[in-house]
Amino acid sequence: MTQAPLSVDRIRRAVSALPTTRHEDWKYTDLSSAIDISTRWLQEDVSRAPDAASPQAIAALTAAVDADWIVIENGVPDPSSFPEGGDIGIERLRHAEALADDPLARLNSALQRDALRIEINAATEKPLGILIIDEALSGAQVSQATIDIEVAPGCDAEIIEYHSSSGDGDHYSNSAVTLHIGESAKAAYVRIQDRDLKHVQTARFAIELDTDSELQMAGYDLGGGLIRNDVDVNLAKPGASANFNGLYLAGDDQHIDNHTRVDHRVGPASSSQEYRGILNGRCRCVWNGKAVVHEGADGTDARQANHNLLLSDKAEIDAKPELEIYADDVKCAHGTTVGQLDEAAIFYLRTRGLDQRAAQQLLTHAFAAGFVNRAPVAASREAVTALVEARLSTLVREAIS
Amino acid sequence: MLEIKNLQSRIGDTEILHGLSLSVNVGEVHAIMGPNGSGKSTLAQVVAGHEDHVVTGGEVLFNGSDLLQLAPEERAREGIFLGFQYPVEIPGVNNAYLLKAAVNAKRQHQGLGEIDAFEFLKLAREKMAALGMDPKFLNRGVNEGFSGGEKKRNEILQMAMLEPKLAILDETDSGLDIDALKAVAEGVNALRRPDRAIVLVTHYQRLLDYIEPDHVHVLSGGRIVRSGDKSLALELEEKGYDWVREAASA
Amino acid sequence: MTAENLESLVNRRYEHGFVTDIATESLPPGLNEDVVRAISARKQEPEFMLEWRLQAYRQWLEMKEPEWAHIHYPPIDFDAISYYAAPKSDDDRPKSLDEVDPKLLETYDKLGIPLHERARLAGVAVDAVFDSVSVATTFKEKLYEAGVIFCSFSEAVREHPELVQKYLGSVVPRRDNFYAALNSAVFSDGSFVYIPKGVRCPMELSTYFRINAANTGQFERTLIIADEDSHVSYLEGCTAPMRDENQLHAAVVELVALEGAEIKYSTVQNWYPGDENGVGGIYNFVTKRGDCRGANSKISWTQVETGSAITWKYPSCLLRGENSVGEFYSVAVANNWQQADTGTKMIHIGANTRSTIVSKGISAGHAQNAYRGLVKVMPQAHGARNHTQCDSLLIGKQCGAHTFPYMEIKNPSAKIEHEATTSKISADQLFYCRQRGISEEDAVNMIVNGFCKEVFKELPMEFAVEAQALLNVSLEGAVG
Repeated sequence: MTQAPLSVDRIRRAVSALPTTRHEDWKYTDLSSAIDISTRWLQEDVSRAPDAASPQAIAALTAAVDADWIVIENGVPDPSSFPEGGDIGIERLRHAEALADDPLARLNSALQRDALRIEINAATEKPLGILIIDEALSGAQVSQATIDIEVAPGCDAEIIEYHSSSGDGDHYSNSAVTLHIGESAKAAYVRIQDRDLKHVQTARFAIELDTDSELQMAGYDLGGGLIRNDVDVNLAKPGASANFNGLYLAGDDQHIDNHTRVDHRVGPASSSQEYRGILNGRCRCVWNGKAVVHEGADGTDARQANHNLLLSDKAEIDAKPELEIYADDVKCAHGTTVGQLDEAAIFYLRTRGLDQRAAQQLLTHAFAAGFVNRAPVAASREAVTALVEARLSTLVREAIS
Repeated sequence: MLEIKNLQSRIGDTEILHGLSLSVNVGEVHAIMGPNGSGKSTLAQVVAGHEDHVVTGGEVLFNGSDLLQLAPEERAREGIFLGFQYPVEIPGVNNAYLLKAAVNAKRQHQGLGEIDAFEFLKLAREKMAALGMDPKFLNRGVNEGFSGGEKKRNEILQMAMLEPKLAILDETDSGLDIDALKAVAEGVNALRRPDRAIVLVTHYQRLLDYIEPDHVHVLSGGRIVRSGDKSLALELEEKGYDWVREAASA
Repeated sequence: MTAENLESLVNRRYEHGFVTDIATESLPPGLNEDVVRAISARKQEPEFMLEWRLQAYRQWLEMKEPEWAHIHYPPIDFDAISYYAAPKSDDDRPKSLDEVDPKLLETYDKLGIPLHERARLAGVAVDAVFDSVSVATTFKEKLYEAGVIFCSFSEAVREHPELVQKYLGSVVPRRDNFYAALNSAVFSDGSFVYIPKGVRCPMELSTYFRINAANTGQFERTLIIADEDSHVSYLEGCTAPMRDENQLHAAVVELVALEGAEIKYSTVQNWYPGDENGVGGIYNFVTKRGDCRGANSKISWTQVETGSAITWKYPSCLLRGENSVGEFYSVAVANNWQQADTGTKMIHIGANTRSTIVSKGISAGHAQNAYRGLVKVMPQAHGARNHTQCDSLLIGKQCGAHTFPYMEIKNPSAKIEHEATTSKISADQLFYCRQRGISEEDAVNMIVNGFCKEVFKELPMEFAVEAQALLNVSLEGAVG
């Protein structure tokens, strides 16, 4: 399949329309590095072939989890990686439908050369893995993935979305993924973001749940220089339940922003989310969770929680748990904490013979452990554990030494 | 005292009571038994005036006057007490405050003055001691964070304070361990009086080991299918509710 | 108890509208430098005050109305407003309570407003109000003995210019926001309080007992300074519905607490909320901020907000001094078509600063009620603590309850906890109370007061009793 040509003018317009920090939803996240990378990339030849990722890197990443992997390299899906068999249907599209009318969706639309539509029609033996890998050896590069996933009614689906990038160059990725979970279907979804500590990502994940369907999602942010995730959950049909969680581990100058929005349009339906963060270095993390209960959505149960551990006096967390409620038969609650390790717990461990440092390490790991054990796709747990432990060990070592 | 004649009711589109008749005289203790879904709790709620239930036929007389015309609070002030199966929590509203407001509403209805604050506290403490309740409960929110047993004891405390003519206790035994059950039963027994009638709504016979009824009725399909003395409860325990259903359909 | 019943109670009429009569000596509508000069001249202000107003006006011209709040209203035509009205001539006022709308008097009765206050509130000519002058005089003497300055803002500008000049705008700068700038340019009058070092103010200060209070509602300006180790409790507003012809209100309140000082500021706000169709009603855009400037100082805001068509108000604390404490306790009721966007800002700057936020929002009818709060911990605020509890109670299906809390934490030793819940008065709760013989209306009042208990206990005793009564009147008919 030939790729759709890019319109430099259209991209330029979309880049210039990216939001600034004056916009309420972007109050804490400054996209100027994304604009800078895009602008430099546009000044060069946008049609030139991007840098290739090493096959060994791809092999190593896909070997981490026993899944059927689809590989999207520098925004280009590799057809040889598509799984065979009738249970999963994959189609390459030149353009996916725009998922929202906002500046990032318009940029995604302008940058689209290729989009994937994946239909999961029956439970498969192995989870479906989607590896989004970008390589930027030098200069400034922009690439992205656009994926629409459909889980058929009554089907149990397991999906892993893995973002990775490397290279000394600058890279910006603006991906857009939609997930539609059919009637009485179940989706278990794991998102791992382990980009290079200089690279920039904005990613929108829009999920729509049909009647009596269920979502179990967990996101892990381990890398990235500037990361902005937007997770939109739309509960438009009764009986749906969405449980989504996120863990962000940040150090150095990382900036990780998780924005979530849940729309309860009808009841009964439930949503719950818990995000946890461990922050070190000069990083800044943002969590903005919004639950909107629309008029008539009686029987809504919406819960939000956000807990943060600050390890460094240069780190910053900005948290904003929002509720907008237009119905009265609802249960909504949120809780947010920012704090340190429990002194009583440290003392307890010390009375059991651990030294201060070991106690702190143990409790910091424990703060994240629940999220790792609960990773929805069972096959991913080992890899998630290894990745989280590795990132956490680096953060904790820097913080406590 | 309470005369129910051919009572029919529905909730939403579902018919629950299908021509239920029951007569309770002063001083009597009645037990209403029956399988889940037979209409036991509905009967209690209809007599108390819950507005989710629509009475579609029949009548309910209380001391000769039409009870169905009255609002729930008016029935309460007339002396009807419902002990709830699931007493609701009312956060922030002090237990003592509710109790005092209830006592005063009734006194006002009777043309009596408001109860003196000290007198009220003295009375409440006495009743609590008799029920084995910690006086601290007075200062907590109504049923807020109470255990199952505490909630049920609190219902009996309210009954003791309000001195009703007719008390309907809906599944007062459910969710209680044996000690709590005994305490609640003792509380009820202490409130048995010649000028008061008590209706016990229960699924199991075990409550009746502690509170001995004068009459036992078996409810099935929204009407009373058998009545008898306390031996009926034992028979039921032995033969199970299927036996009743068969009898009802026969 | 059905939803329809719940709603039917919402739809009862507000029992009192404005007492309309014609003001005299107003400046013509519109705002320009001449108007600002005229206001200053009529108040016989010193030069520095005029200069300050003019600069505020020039800054205001460059500012835009804020649009971020969760409120909707038609554009305000700032040129259609008259920015100065002299106190009314006695000829235009009711001569006695006999001439006042009986419905208004009925409400005063329900609220238990003292007789001598009723006349003043209803706008009866001052010379007919036999009690208040003597009451005020008695209090003035007592305060004078303690060294407390408590007077109108205009009087303070003339009598204590050095204090005004030193502190005015030091907490809320002129250009802090659009409405603060407008207020700085045209403020009418308000209160001034200075508590000297080490003095515990011998009584609660209340606008009830302030003379020269006439017609200060629109652009009120209040400045309270608590010098080192002093203590004051100030009560603003009153539970009775206040008569005011001016639809736009933009007040500014500045509090300064020096080392070891404590200011407790309690507000009951019950401006006209508009009728059951959302017609009329006050737009209330208020900037209130306290500065805990010294170590170990404390500022506590308590508010019960039941009035106004639109409320835009965020009483805040700048916690600069080490170990300083900020508190915000709020009950905000919105019924019918009222819209409230209210909350607080706690800015932790000094080490070991602590703040507590308890917000209780009640929405009924078609009202929209939003809590908006910021907890900010600056990098140097080691050991900062905040606890926020933010609860909403919904009565009926057409209203909205919203929560927009911001937490910006830049210090790793901070401990921040935020909790929010939403609930409704359930049919089960009402039935339970009614089964115990309590009427529905009493049951609603009981549940609502239970919901607000944590805030009411922060109010001075007699204010708390009034506030409860006010809540009951405000929600009269909210549940059926």
